[in-house]
Amino acid sequence: MKNRIITFILGAAALAAPALAQTSALPLPPPVEKELAARATNVTEVTLGKNMLAFAAKFMNGKDEDEAATRKLIEGLEGIYVREYEFDKEGQFSMEEIEQLRKYFETSEWSSLVRERERKTGESTDVMVKLVNGETRGMFILIVEPKELTIVLILGPVRMEDLGKLKGLAGLGALGDVEKNTNAKEKEKTKDKDKKGGNQ
Amino acid sequence: MRRLWLIPIACVVLLVPVAVLAGSGESGFEGVVHSIESRYHVHATRIPFLGLVSMVSRKATNGGVGSLHVAEFDSFSEPVDGDELNRMVEQKLGAGWERIIRETSKKGSEQTLIFVHPEGERMGLFVVDLDGHEMDVVEVSVDADHLNQNLGPYEHHHHQSDQDGDESD
Repeated sequence: MKNRIITFILGAAALAAPALAQTSALPLPPPVEKELAARATNVTEVTLGKNMLAFAAKFMNGKDEDEAATRKLIEGLEGIYVREYEFDKEGQFSMEEIEQLRKYFETSEWSSLVRERERKTGESTDVMVKLVNGETRGMFILIVEPKELTIVLILGPVRMEDLGKLKGLAGLGALGDVEKNTNAKEKEKTKDKDKKGGNQ
Repeated sequence: MRRLWLIPIACVVLLVPVAVLAGSGESGFEGVVHSIESRYHVHATRIPFLGLVSMVSRKATNGGVGSLHVAEFDSFSEPVDGDELNRMVEQKLGAGWERIIRETSKKGSEQTLIFVHPEGERMGLFVVDLDGHEMDVVEVSVDADHLNQNLGPYEHHHHQSDQDGDESD
């Protein structure tokens, strides 16, 4: 009888473990990150969980409109995860490693918003959003430059127009550019639609 | 009566390991500072009357900033392995502390670690910053609501002076 109880408890624990892992806000870093960090000259890691974001939000008193909007945005987020690797020379990471990074964060819920590739320089930008019932619940940004790699993962409800507001937070300077980039893409799309509509 | 001499010996035998373990297991701010001192052969400079400063700052900010601890190392001559430093600080701080920022350079001359520890309404912050030959270790407990109330008037003044500057441009 005692053995049965122990087996039951162990079984329940084994079943609960993946469920707990799924509910944790921020993912564990993919194994490839360790290798990248070992080769990089400079590494910046920012991991802000819900607690820390709530604490940061308290400093925005809400008297200013912008601050109030940023506070609202931050309070709703589940986590922010930034990794920046700087290398002293080119060729310190392979395309396979970049692909591993993309795949690690890419699941069925994520869809690509921006995909930019420059063959000459090897630079690329990926912006993916997590859509749940038509709402943006997360954003993944991967910026690859010959000597620099930037990963930004934001979990929680995010609106494109609010992205730039986060750029003041540590390590999130790149968000200002992403906001411009996505806005420009959206404008292009509407222009194309207008043109097509005009032609018809 | 013959066995009474066993009592002090037993006490010594029992107390020595406890004292040794207590010394080596020093944790928190002091644990981190002592680990850095012994690992890198440097000596920490303490700010005199910091306890008083901490008390005054707590009073002046209505509890916004308190439990201030500062140690400064001036003569870091050997490069610092970022991973090793991180492990050492994490181990000495113990459970409950969560690292939010880590900045590390391979050359070893620049390292930054920021840890946080939720303490109810307050947040404990622990910063280790190495820049060249100088390292600062700071621990502080912050109450965001109270601190924000105190910073509010200055922030407004700051915004206003910024706007005035823009207008004059």
